[in-house]
Amino acid sequence: MIEIKNLQANVNTDEGPIEILKGISLSIQPGEVHAIMGPNGSGKSTLSYVLAGREDYGVTGGSVSMNGEDLLALEPEERAAAGLFLAFQYPVEIPGVNMSTFLKTSINSIRKQRGEDELDALSLLKLMKTKCKELGISDDMMKRAVNVGFSGGEKKRNEVLQMALLEPKFCVLDETDSGLDIDALKIVADGVNALRDPKRSFLIITHYQRLLDYIKPDVVHVLAGGKIVKTGGPELAQELEKQGYAEIIEAVA
Amino acid sequence: MSAFPVPLDGQDLPTSKQEEWKYTNLARALSPELSNKRPMVSEEVFIHRSCGGNGGQVEDILWEGFEGQHQQPRLAIILEEGAELTVIERHRGAGAYWKNMVTDVTVGPNAKLHHIRIVEDSAEAVQTNMARVTIARDGVYDCFSMNAGGAMTRHQIHAVLRGPNITCSLNGVNLLKGSQHADTTILMEHQAPHCVSNQFYRSLLDDQSRGVFQGKVHVHREAQKTDGYQLSNALLLSPSAEMDTKPELEIYADDVKCSHGATTGPLDEEPLFCLRSRGLSADAARLLLIQAFVNEVLEKIPNKDAREEVRGKAEEWLTTRLK
Repeated sequence: MIEIKNLQANVNTDEGPIEILKGISLSIQPGEVHAIMGPNGSGKSTLSYVLAGREDYGVTGGSVSMNGEDLLALEPEERAAAGLFLAFQYPVEIPGVNMSTFLKTSINSIRKQRGEDELDALSLLKLMKTKCKELGISDDMMKRAVNVGFSGGEKKRNEVLQMALLEPKFCVLDETDSGLDIDALKIVADGVNALRDPKRSFLIITHYQRLLDYIKPDVVHVLAGGKIVKTGGPELAQELEKQGYAEIIEAVA
Repeated sequence: MSAFPVPLDGQDLPTSKQEEWKYTNLARALSPELSNKRPMVSEEVFIHRSCGGNGGQVEDILWEGFEGQHQQPRLAIILEEGAELTVIERHRGAGAYWKNMVTDVTVGPNAKLHHIRIVEDSAEAVQTNMARVTIARDGVYDCFSMNAGGAMTRHQIHAVLRGPNITCSLNGVNLLKGSQHADTTILMEHQAPHCVSNQFYRSLLDDQSRGVFQGKVHVHREAQKTDGYQLSNALLLSPSAEMDTKPELEIYADDVKCSHGATTGPLDEEPLFCLRSRGLSADAARLLLIQAFVNEVLEKIPNKDAREEVRGKAEEWLTTRLK
């Protein structure tokens, strides 16, 4: 189970720290999909970075635990080994590092941290081939540098590929729908749906309801001004789409 | 030909008042004993090819330096029409010495010279190398320098593209640590139309090391359709390392394509975080990113064996630095 309790965090800027998250609490049971929706500047991406452990964000209060383990006490790589996965809103380009090297190193780093045997080159190749096929990723893409020259759709598919290969327990998807056309969105959503599992939890961060047509959430939260202002079922997303954020946020204020 | 070598008396050394020596203080790098010393009668290597060959031919040269020497070696390479050759030049040594070298390269019409320099001079050595390169029509000259040695090295190249349809590529990697200083100064002179020139250098600077890149592309009025490219990327591995870059274009023709770029800075945080979020330790992520930075320029080495050799050396340098 994922438990976020009264989480408060700052982003460190050149002008000093700015408070972004002002006390977020939510718990996600294994197998559940939660969505966080909110207007720009509400703290959605900050939440994802704080969970993954980016250094330019400072936690000032609260706690995050994953199956009883204190997530905030871990380094980013330890969080990954513990089973956290963040699908980036803007996947970063890594010139000079090709996809297959990146994936192999990543898989084995995590296996090593988990005390599992590292996979040999042949098993890795087989594993990658199978997963790539499932996601419609060509072998040619494996030879290219990570995200360099990838289209928006390819970048997001690549995130889902990594998710599939690393077998996380808790997946955070940060605006995975941004920059995707409807076909790419469907492929990405299918990939995520294929990973839904009674033991795996999802937190889907999005601005638009559209993604939630394809990945059905169990619970929807509305984030505004660094706080969760409303929580409901999937129908809340529909409501937001109809009425807009302003009305709902005003109603609870 | 000059007369018998005479001592310099420290008087003729360039100073920082001369624009092209602004960032490199040779007088300070040389001990008075060395700069005042009468140069020894030094080795000359002369390579001449008059006909084609299959291009697989390799000349492998070793220049060694020893404590207290003031050497003035000369390397002359002449390829006549249609000849092709790979020259690998290695620099090693022990103790403090000054290797003041001249390289004369003449690439004939339709000839191809692949030149690889692996500089691993001793930690106290000074190497100054003036390379004068002239290339005739349809000729190809590519030079890759791996520079990991010496207290101070200066590799100065003056390439003159004399006929049409020439390709000249000057590439290199600098691996610097301690208080090493490495200077690459290039003048690429396009005198004829339809030529392509490339410069691509990458530098890793650790500790208090200092790198200098000065590259100038000079396009003469008659050199229409020139395609000139120049890039220097420096990665600072320590806050006290320094890189001075001065890319320059001087263009007198009105139908050319020339570009230049230079970057200097530490590793980007974003890819570092991305790799860590995928399970790599901070050290492993750094190593992978720095290897990638270096490997991209090593791709420019045309000779496969030499490429693997340089890759191995770079790898070794990195793993001892980042342990």
